Amino acid sequence: MLRMEIALFLILVLVAYIYFSAGKKHTPLHKTFSALLVCALVHMVFDGITVYTVNRLDTVPLFWNDLIHRIFIGSMIVVIYLFYRYISVLVEEEAGKIQQGLRQASFLFLVAAEMGAWFLPVEYTITSQGNYSSGVFTYICYAAVAFYLLLCAGLLIVHRRQIDHKRKFAIGAALIIEFVISLLQWLHHTWLISGMGITLMTLAFYLTLENPDILRAELTEQKMSMLYLKSQVNPHFLYNTLDTIRIQAQLNGDKKVADLLMQLVDFFRLSVKVDRSMVTLDDELELLEAYMELMCYRYPELQCSYDIDPDLGEAQVPNFILQPIVENSLLHGLKNKGYRGEVRISAARTEDSRMEICVRDSGSGFAEGKKAAIDDMLRHYARQAPKLTGNSIGILNVQKRIKTLCGREFGLSYTENEEGGVTAHILLPLKEEGR
Amino acid sequence: MKRLRVLLVDDEIMIREGFKRLFDWESHDCEVVGEAADGMEALSQIDVLQPDLVIMDINIPIMNGLKVIQLSRIKHPATAFIIVSGYDDFSYCREALRLQITDYILKPVNYEEFGNCIDNLKISMFERRMEEQPVLQEERPINGITRYLQEHLAEDVSLGVLSEEFHLNPQYISQLFKSEIGVNFLTYLTNIRMEKAKKLLLSTALSIAEVSEQSGYEDYRVFTKVFKKAEGITPSQYRRDFLEAKPEERGKKDEL
Repeated sequence: MLRMEIALFLILVLVAYIYFSAGKKHTPLHKTFSALLVCALVHMVFDGITVYTVNRLDTVPLFWNDLIHRIFIGSMIVVIYLFYRYISVLVEEEAGKIQQGLRQASFLFLVAAEMGAWFLPVEYTITSQGNYSSGVFTYICYAAVAFYLLLCAGLLIVHRRQIDHKRKFAIGAALIIEFVISLLQWLHHTWLISGMGITLMTLAFYLTLENPDILRAELTEQKMSMLYLKSQVNPHFLYNTLDTIRIQAQLNGDKKVADLLMQLVDFFRLSVKVDRSMVTLDDELELLEAYMELMCYRYPELQCSYDIDPDLGEAQVPNFILQPIVENSLLHGLKNKGYRGEVRISAARTEDSRMEICVRDSGSGFAEGKKAAIDDMLRHYARQAPKLTGNSIGILNVQKRIKTLCGREFGLSYTENEEGGVTAHILLPLKEEGR
Repeated sequence: MKRLRVLLVDDEIMIREGFKRLFDWESHDCEVVGEAADGMEALSQIDVLQPDLVIMDINIPIMNGLKVIQLSRIKHPATAFIIVSGYDDFSYCREALRLQITDYILKPVNYEEFGNCIDNLKISMFERRMEEQPVLQEERPINGITRYLQEHLAEDVSLGVLSEEFHLNPQYISQLFKSEIGVNFLTYLTNIRMEKAKKLLLSTALSIAEVSEQSGYEDYRVFTKVFKKAEGITPSQYRRDFLEAKPEERGKKDEL
């Protein structure tokens, strides 16, 4: 039987290692789970030791046997209490504060149960299949399990409407596992399987709610929302002010400045307005044209031309994919040549009825080894950690969105032109609307 | 065709100045007769000046533009309103449409394109005059011509075709449009074709190509371009925007 305790202990060590090495937010929920993991580990150690000592009553002094049993039962009550705390934090996150009285009652019960675990006499029952501790002492343990399981089940039932489906499932599964195992332990005293219940319950939460992927997603989401907040300058303030400047410029007779401001406002408005994930190619081009006209004005030797199959105007494309690609071409290709050169945007139907959009620049091309790095990044787009800054964030983001919105067979790739510069190829499905 | 009297309402002096001096009112047969910087002033100016057209900002002090329109509708049902707003927001747009305004345009105002709004206004004013005319009155040539255009807009109509049909000189017909409606023939034709297309887009399930054909455009690509220039969005977007908006609107009505 000792072998099972060792295996369970190793599983918990592995879980704890992965859990503590992953970056996470410091929420009450994660803190509770951390405490739970530590207590469960301590508990498993003493679980293993008691299994060893209880069967050697004649060699191990009674004092030590009692002490180890008391720590074993005491830590088990703490673990069960922490399970209850964890579930109540989960419920609180979804359903708001639960009654203060319940919290005090659960804590008082913990204190009472601990007192019992430390001061009630320990008795031992000796059987042919093995020995176990018995008497009033062990009832404390069952009472604690029953009490906290009932509290959890009560919380779950009272707040069943407010709790998210996934969490409800995790809590329910953990409760059923612990209930069944405690019942079996109650019926077969010599099985000594309480450690299994605790490990399985911990695993249930770890797998559903606390695994590193979920923690990472939470962390990224938090960073993203920070960035989002930073960009929340009231757009109307921006448009209105720019418009006032534009009118003043035109009143002063400066038509050129007025036109530029008009383009700028158009660009901002178009990029803020889009709230759909798919837009028509025409919309996408309109945004790009507003951007390119401003860039071409800033750099007079920059040329831009379009060759768009007019039949594709209504085709659906993921929003905001062209501007980042063109911006990338400008910053990494044409900038090195002093913005002297051409960007050519073309869209055509391929032979197998797909759509290919090409952004061809006459820039400096890829630096040594850069092409392979970009290819690799685009091929293994899913493995890239979500980056929030840096050069390639734009194209990586485009690649990810195309793959998720259109399918894995579509996406972005780069080729080198014979006469210098690079071409970005965007392969997309051909879905037209309204026809 | 008398001159249109225009009232400008905006809380920003620069916007009013821009409208006054940068748009060519003269060549569009219009005249700016007054300005207002807030809702109350707008209401009293409408009472005093009785303008034909009010250019109205929504977000103005004391009383918002939509409220001003609602109130002045009671006393002055014939006054036309063009809303000019920085709020690129469909809910405002919908509320505005319920007030039966002539047009809804977004800041920044492109003064060259603003002329189209005035043209549309003139056409809708003309159509209202037609409806209000007593039937008995002797029919004027322009009424017959516009009715003919409404019925034949899906065909290839031109000044030449009209001249044969009505036995009138093409130049004379062209002048009739200018003097009776205030816009040229082609503007009028495009306008009624777009109105037809919008009706078809919202009330039928016809494809864009079919809508295009029934509205007088053989090539749906040309149609899409013209539509986009007139409405700011493509035909399919137009259909989608309105059909998507409908369930919400229904919800709102239920609440009321």
